[in-house]
This record gives sequence, C-alpha cells and structure tokens, in this order.
Amino acid sequence: MSRFKRAAAAVLAGAMSVSLAACGSSADGSASTASGSAAASGSTTTAAAGAATTKASGSSDGKTVVNVWSNDRHDQEYVTKMVDQYNQTNTDNIEINLTIITDNYDNMIQMAVNGGSNAPDIIGSPSTALTNWADTGIIEPLNSYIDKDPEYQKVNDPYNHAYEGLNAEDGQIYYVYSGMRSGVRVEYNKNLLSENGFTDVPKTLDDYTAMAQTITNNGNGSYYGIGFTSSSPFERLLEMVAQVSGIYYYDYVNGKFDFSGYKEIIEKGQQLVKAAYPDQQGVDNMRALFAQGSFALWSNASQEAGVFTQQLPITDFEWGVAEVPSLTGEIKGALQTTPSKGYGLIRTSKNKDAAWKVISYFQSEEFLKGYLEGGYCLPITDYMDSRIDKTKIGRLADFSKLSYEDVYPTVPSVNLQGDNYRTVLWNAVMGYVSADEAIADLNQRYNDALEADIKSGSVKRLVISDYDPLHPSKGTATYQTK
Amino acid sequence: MKTTTKGKKGASPKVSRKEKTSAILMLLPSTILLAVCSIYPFIWMFRYVCYNYNGFKATYTGTANFNRLASDSTFWKSVGVTFEYAGLKILFIIPLALLIAVLLNLRMKGHSVQRGIIFMPTIISSAIAGMIFTFVFATQNGVLNGILKSLHLIKSPVPWISSTDFVMTAVIILAVWGGVGNYMLYFTTGINGISEDCYESAKIDGANGLQTFFYVTLPMLAPVLKTVLMLAITSAFKDYESIMVLTDGGPNSRSMVMFLYIYHVIFGTTNSSAQVQIGYGALLSIVAAAIVGVVTVIYLQLAKKLDKVNG
Repeated sequence: MSRFKRAAAAVLAGAMSVSLAACGSSADGSASTASGSAAASGSTTTAAAGAATTKASGSSDGKTVVNVWSNDRHDQEYVTKMVDQYNQTNTDNIEINLTIITDNYDNMIQMAVNGGSNAPDIIGSPSTALTNWADTGIIEPLNSYIDKDPEYQKVNDPYNHAYEGLNAEDGQIYYVYSGMRSGVRVEYNKNLLSENGFTDVPKTLDDYTAMAQTITNNGNGSYYGIGFTSSSPFERLLEMVAQVSGIYYYDYVNGKFDFSGYKEIIEKGQQLVKAAYPDQQGVDNMRALFAQGSFALWSNASQEAGVFTQQLPITDFEWGVAEVPSLTGEIKGALQTTPSKGYGLIRTSKNKDAAWKVISYFQSEEFLKGYLEGGYCLPITDYMDSRIDKTKIGRLADFSKLSYEDVYPTVPSVNLQGDNYRTVLWNAVMGYVSADEAIADLNQRYNDALEADIKSGSVKRLVISDYDPLHPSKGTATYQTK
Repeated sequence: MKTTTKGKKGASPKVSRKEKTSAILMLLPSTILLAVCSIYPFIWMFRYVCYNYNGFKATYTGTANFNRLASDSTFWKSVGVTFEYAGLKILFIIPLALLIAVLLNLRMKGHSVQRGIIFMPTIISSAIAGMIFTFVFATQNGVLNGILKSLHLIKSPVPWISSTDFVMTAVIILAVWGGVGNYMLYFTTGINGISEDCYESAKIDGANGLQTFFYVTLPMLAPVLKTVLMLAITSAFKDYESIMVLTDGGPNSRSMVMFLYIYHVIFGTTNSSAQVQIGYGALLSIVAAAIVGVVTVIYLQLAKKLDKVNG
C-alpha cells in the first residue's frame, strides 16, 4: 500500500470512528454528565440509561432511608442541594436517597413495584394517567396524611388543587402539585411588530391572522408573520384559541366526545397557515428560527421563559408575551394549565411515615420558595405566589397565572383506532381533509372507542352535570359504567 | 474395480455419546438465549391480541381487536405506503449500489477513498441521519434547496418534508443515502469472487465494457444478487426509525410506513385522550410480520423460477 493510500485509509477510518462516536455521544454524554453530578452530590443517582440503583429501603447507619425516584432533571441542581441539606440537618434520622430516571420512568416504577424489590418509597408524579397508578394500587391516597398536617395544607392548599383524573379520584388525592406550567401564550418579536406598524397582539383570531399576513407580506421572504412546529402544532395555538372561546372536544355534561365546535377554528386556521413560515420543523428548530427573527409570532407555554433566556437567548430584539386570541375577543372558556411537582406514596413502602415527612419537606415553604424563585416552575397556590420574590423569577413572571386559567378534568383515555384528534384537526387546517369530514370522522371514532371501552370495562364515562367551561375543575364528577 | 463401503450410503457417521453431550452443552447457551429473548417475547405478544392492554391494565375484549384491524383504514393505508416506499427504495438502491460497486472495481485512482466515503453513512445511526436530513430538506434554508437553487434547477424552494407531494421523495433519498454503501459492499465482495479468467476470456473474445458487465459480471453475480435482494426487501419493509425522526409519518400520513404506525399504537402519546394499545399493536405486529414473510416467500419463489430459466 502506498503512503498516500495508507494516509487516506487512516483518515477515513478516523472519520468513521468520529462519526460513530458522534452517533453515540448523545446518550453517553448525558450519562457521564449525570454521573458527574451524582458523584458531586453523594446522595443522588441519575439513571440516564434507565438503570436505577438505590440503597435498600430500611436503615443505613441507624438512619431510615427513604428512596425517592424522580424523572425531573431540569431542577436536579437545586433538589440535590436541598436533599443534601436535609440529610445533614433533619432530626428525624431520615436519609433521602434520590434517584433521577430519565428514560422509561413509568415502566421502571411499575417493574420495581411489581417485582417486589428495590421499589422506591416516593415517586415524582409520572406522566401517564392517574387511573393506571391508583386503580392498580401502586400508589395510595394521601388524604389521611394531609388531614393531620395543617402546615402542609396551608402551603399547598391540596383540596382546592385536586383535579379529577389528574391527581384525584372520587375524593382521594394521590399527588399534591406544588407548581405548574402556564397555559399557552403568544411570544412575539416586538421589533418586527413595530416595524410593521403594530404595537400589541390582537385579541381576536381574525385580527391576529390579519397581522400575521401583513408581516409576511411586508417581509417578502426575509421574515414571516408566524411559525408553526411539526410537533403537535394544533395543541400549541389553535386548540387553546378554541378553549378560551368556550370550545372543547369532550361534552362533560353528556359524557361523550363532540368535535363539532372546531369547524370555525379549522377554517380560520387555514387562513393563518397561509401567513406562516414555509417549514414546520421540530420545536427546537422553530424556536431557533424565532430567536433569530425569522418570524414574529410563536406560541408555547411558560417553558419558553427559560428557552429564550438561557437555551436560545434572544439578544437581537425585544420579545414580549401576550395572551392567546379568542374567536370574538371575549373569554368564554378556561385556558388549560399543566400542574407539576407532585409526589406519590408507593403502597408497598415500609417507611410510610418517614416518606410522608420527606414529601412534606419537598413541599414545604422553605423548599418551595427557593425552588420557585429559581424559576423552575410557576407556583400553583395563592399562598406560595404571595411568598416568593417575583423579581427573582425573571421572564417567568410574564407567564404568571391568568384569572381564566384552570385544569380540565381528565377526559376518558380510549383505545382509539387511527389518528388522534390533534393530528386530524391539523390535517384539516392544512387542507388535507375537509373540516366536516375531519369532525365527522373524529366524532365517530372517539365515541365508538368510548362506547366499546365502557362496554369492556376499560374506562368509565365521565359526566359533570354542573360543568362550567370557565371553571372546569369546579364541577362534580361522576363516573358511569354505561 | 470393485469397491466396498461399510454401512448405508449417505448415512451420517456414528456420533459418540460424549460428542453428543458436548454438542448439546455448546448449543445450550444460544438455545436458552433464543428461547428467552426471541421465542418467549413472541409468545408473550400473542397473549395480548385479545386484550386492551396499556402496560398497566389488561381487559379481555374477545375478537374486538380483529374487527378493528379489518376496518383500520390508517393501518391499511400505511401498508400501501410501505409497499410504495419499499418498491421505490429497492428500485433505486440496488441498481445504484451495483453500478457503484462495478465502477469502483475498475480500480480508478482513489477508489478506496471513494468506497469509504460511500460506505460512511451506513455507520451513522438512522435516527441521527433522520435528524441531519431535516436540515438538508428544510424548505427555507435547507442544504438541498440551496444547491438546487444555485444550479438554477428550481425557482422557488421545494417543501420536501412539509408537502404530501414531495415527502416520499425525501424519505427515499434518505433511505438510499443511508443504505447504498452497505449493498455496494455486498456487491463488491461478490465481484471480487468472480474469477479473473472469465474477464480475460471476455477480453479475448472482444467484449466491450457493457458486454462484459451484462454477459459476465451480472450472471456470475446472480447468487449474490438474489441474497442481496432478499435482504433489501426485508429491511425496506421494516424501515421506520429514520422516517420517524424526519417526518414522523406526516404530512397527512403520507410517509406513515406500517412499523411506524405500530410504534405509534404501542408507544404513542397518551395526551390526546387515546391510550397506548399494546394488545392491538401486538396484533398489528403479527400481521405486519406476516406481510413481510409473504413478500419474502413470493420473492424466493420468483427467484427460484428465474434460476430455472437461467439454468
């Protein structure tokens, strides 16, 4: 082999190795970073690849070890610091062993509990429906512990934040939420708006569309009025426009699905997408395009505060936050918020009293004040909202709770055949299917699935006869088996 | 001349008990692994075809999943898309891989480097490739549109992955880019196995390059081609990872291949009031496996007939 060939072969082999390493770097990188943090904390283990390791539940150096599993990594630094502080200072002889599991979290918990060993005592609230955890007896209600703890009640106001199907069922509370993600807001490029003669984001969808179209026309291909992502685009604006206009896909009073209200939203959405940036890419790509001024209007919830100040900091223009428009400018329904940071007590725990003390600590004023002021999420209770220094939470303050924000009762989750409603409604907005066809198809498939599932016993029909679209969480939920 | 043989003609030699024991012991680990990692999951999957199962609760539903399968237009549409995708992928990737292998076999200057470059996409994970190609296919600032524009081949940007008209082309380009190096390597190995004598004879007979390819290389490569085609068919029918990252089956399910649909059914989102459906997904997986199996058997039968014709 000539020297040139040898060199070329070496370069190619090197390039292949580098690209191979690059392919694996994402997972490996996160794992090693996590290990670093874990090593530093001494009491936290991150199981990025899904393999959780915990100390055996019971006593360690005479201490009661409470194993806590969480899938939240964004707040790891603060939580780890507070866990270390608790382990050093608590007088109850308790040691918290925190494990952060980022992959396959729900399955890991289920396997650990059903496997009978190495199960945690406490879990951070999982993403799948409460019914999966409560009805199978994996977690147990917290009511008896809450009732004995007035300080906990003062800080967390649990009975006013019991959301049917989300953290509570039939009066039993399984998690109490300390924080929330706001409902969707419009994030807008103030410079682009003012260059095009606008100062505020309009209150009606028609005016909002007209503004987006004007900016797109004036941009002449160099910038656009609005951008949509390919990842659940309907959910990130139009579904929320429908919500605040009093349109929802489940008829709580009659206990069935009803998509008929979306026709007007679809038709107006078809006008809006004409003004949109030509691509619908993944969320992060679209965020990056917004951050570089490629379009004026973007919409997403309070996580964007961190995104546009830390992850993709916007420095070239001023950006503002506004409420999503409605069909008429009038608010006729609640805007969905997403509660977060709840903790469940595993039924098989041998240290339930100690575990409750740990939950109380995680949801104490001392813990939450620093957490909320750190900007990790918004407070869910009025009490904590009044206790934090809002000057410390940065742009998250722009996403503070609106008077018409609430949590909708969890709609029965059915064994649906075919595409879900968000996909189908967006297909209608894009003109792939007519609005009437989309609505008829969804009404048929969702209700067929609901009836079949009720018949087989997979789900129950949720009926709220005193349902109020402006206060959806305040109704009286009943479950029917027919 | 007379010859005598002991025992029956064709009978296998007697194996001692010791040899049998060692054979069993040597086979045991792989048999156990096969049973645990392959056969048991397959049987496990069958258990749930008559259930609604979301990973937590299983509810017996009798033949409901089978009835749904018959009327699941999204699934049957995805089967059609899979055939279209697999057909187009094979149509482009096999001739291209063969052409490249033959050209590189001419041992032009730098052929090893070129072979390495063409093979390189094969070692990149398909998910990463899908991610890279979202930038290549971007409408506004995409690499491909930039090149086409600078060559004056297009006037306005092509919406490669956001239009139902172009998304299949985009998915096929990605599939060919990611797989051509692999098939090229198979063909290169096959070509290297052809005796030089054949080429010398062709040369003496005055065959030109094209004649040599069609009358020497291609017939001698037939057994390799048959295997490569079978591998290409089965892998094309099972592709979904890079498509999931690039388009997630959209827009309007235009790139929804059947295994991607099954993935959505089994691991899909739970935030649209729809459950994950492991039971129904298991049934779809069995049907999809049967479809791939039938296609492979049909291909093998056709290949056998072709062998007879050639023979």
